[in-house]
Amino acid sequence: VGLLPAYDDKKGKRPMTEVKIKTEVAGRVCSILATVGASLNEGDEVLLVEAMKMEIPVMATAGGEIKAVLVNVDDMVAEGQVVAIVAV
Amino acid sequence: VTWQPDIDEMNNRADMSRQMGGADSVAFHKGRGKLTVRERIEILADPGSFRETGVLAGRPEWTSDGKDLLSLTPANSVTGVVQINGRRAIVHGGDFTIRGGSADGSIGDKMGWAIKQAYMRRLPFVRLLDATGGSVRTFETIGRTYLSSNDRTAEVELMQMVPTVSMVLGSVAGLPAVQAAMCHFNIMVKGTTQVFVAGPAVVKASQGIQITKEDLGNEDVHVHKSGVIANLAEDEEDAFRQVRRFLSYLPTSVWEMPTRKQTEDDPVRREESLASFMPRNPRRVYDVQKLIELVLDKGSFFEIQPHFGRSRLTGLARVDGYPVGIMANNPRYLGGSMDKAAGEKTARLVQLCDTFHLPIVYFCDEPGFMVGQEEEKKGILRAGARMVALNSLSRTPFITFILRQVYGVAGGLHYRGGSALYRRFAWPSGHWGSMHIEGGVSAAYRREIDAADDPEAKRLEIEERLNALRSPFRTAHAFALEDMIDPRETRPLLVDFVQEAQATIRTQLGQTSRIAFLP
Repeated sequence: VGLLPAYDDKKGKRPMTEVKIKTEVAGRVCSILATVGASLNEGDEVLLVEAMKMEIPVMATAGGEIKAVLVNVDDMVAEGQVVAIVAV
Repeated sequence: VTWQPDIDEMNNRADMSRQMGGADSVAFHKGRGKLTVRERIEILADPGSFRETGVLAGRPEWTSDGKDLLSLTPANSVTGVVQINGRRAIVHGGDFTIRGGSADGSIGDKMGWAIKQAYMRRLPFVRLLDATGGSVRTFETIGRTYLSSNDRTAEVELMQMVPTVSMVLGSVAGLPAVQAAMCHFNIMVKGTTQVFVAGPAVVKASQGIQITKEDLGNEDVHVHKSGVIANLAEDEEDAFRQVRRFLSYLPTSVWEMPTRKQTEDDPVRREESLASFMPRNPRRVYDVQKLIELVLDKGSFFEIQPHFGRSRLTGLARVDGYPVGIMANNPRYLGGSMDKAAGEKTARLVQLCDTFHLPIVYFCDEPGFMVGQEEEKKGILRAGARMVALNSLSRTPFITFILRQVYGVAGGLHYRGGSALYRRFAWPSGHWGSMHIEGGVSAAYRREIDAADDPEAKRLEIEERLNALRSPFRTAHAFALEDMIDPRETRPLLVDFVQEAQATIRTQLGQTSRIAFLP
């Protein structure tokens, strides 16, 4: 999990942290469950990766708002690849 | 007091020895984020329980008349008896602050003494490795080279008798590196430790390759890739915590019963959530760690090799306070399929449990051995054959809960024939076969499919026909499966089995395993 603090001092918001969500397994993205802008809790499923005939959920390692989903359905992903960003 | 001067001198010299390599050397060592061997033993042991042997062993320097001692450089290892969780164990630790823990800085054979003590006294043995093997400097000291033919029989015998643990706490090469693997459990520390046959200088000399000690033998190499080291510790304190925990599940020797620990957990706890635990969609995975928590005594699972062969979980745990070995397929990795790494890992658990008389509990969801060219090249077939052999040789009580898949020869490992205590139960989500219907159909019905006007439709039709036969009820009606169970009954049935198994274990105490524990 990488931490990228992004502080907007004009708006005086509290510092925001972005958490990278990574897939633990390699395979094909078969379904995207999270929507950009929606909020989710730690442990919620972000997307499903198909490997060895199984659908393996990639889960949010932190709760927050989905800033970006970096892959599309049918993309092949590698082990450890960042697939989404959550703003905490 | 007649002997007071000698007693004082003895204490004085022991104090000298406890200074280890001296203030500078100790400061250098600690500056690299490491503890001294004496601090390590204090943390490993129950407080104040260490009784050292051989504190006076060292290289004395005398005044010119040879009458008075100027200084004493201690032997670069520390040994003795400690208590761990209230039970005795022998510890031997290398002292890096004296000649880098190298074998030529040793005095007498402290390590041999320690091993023999563990052997004679039938006590667990813990090695704290922070040392390299021999050095060519010895050739000059003794005026000759020597044959590497030291007798390690006692160390190998020890593994058949008492729990042995190796801790990698520094850069470890040569004989100590082999000893790092010569045990029932080993661990290394993140970022500060490495282990290899020989270090970067030797690799440079023999292969002309420049490589760092980290790239050659850190946790990435040995915990994640080679599987030579079982567990990874965040820091040294964590390493000692894990070792104490590992030992807590095992008897002090094969002649002792594994010790039960009082538990608050209800033996007949029926977890409602188990009735919905398994997804109906066969392609959806589940959290096998969560299942283990729901069924075993809460918080009792200690995972072994969590970063290697991840399609299987292995570890030690407690059931109604009794220690057990755990293995479970993990569908998140390779669909739970046994690859060579998972096979090696499972083999080690079976050997461990059979040696120390722990019942083996298996949560089975095995799609079969991993297929494909990569695994064939690694030798999955021999790993599989070895598992079949170990499963047949093992006589420790064995129980299987079939959660979902049981396919192929790997699936066959859920079962053990012979007369040793064995039971199996299947959840209603179970399905099985000598091979998968999908894929199997194309092979077995190829002619029929090829001859059809619409081969694809024909294939699907045959698959559907066969799938209808796959219900676990059909197997149970034929008594080819003894019992289907409500998943909520898993813990009560498991507790009942493990309680009863204690009587069997009592008859198996001693060196009764037909499996030699091999590293």
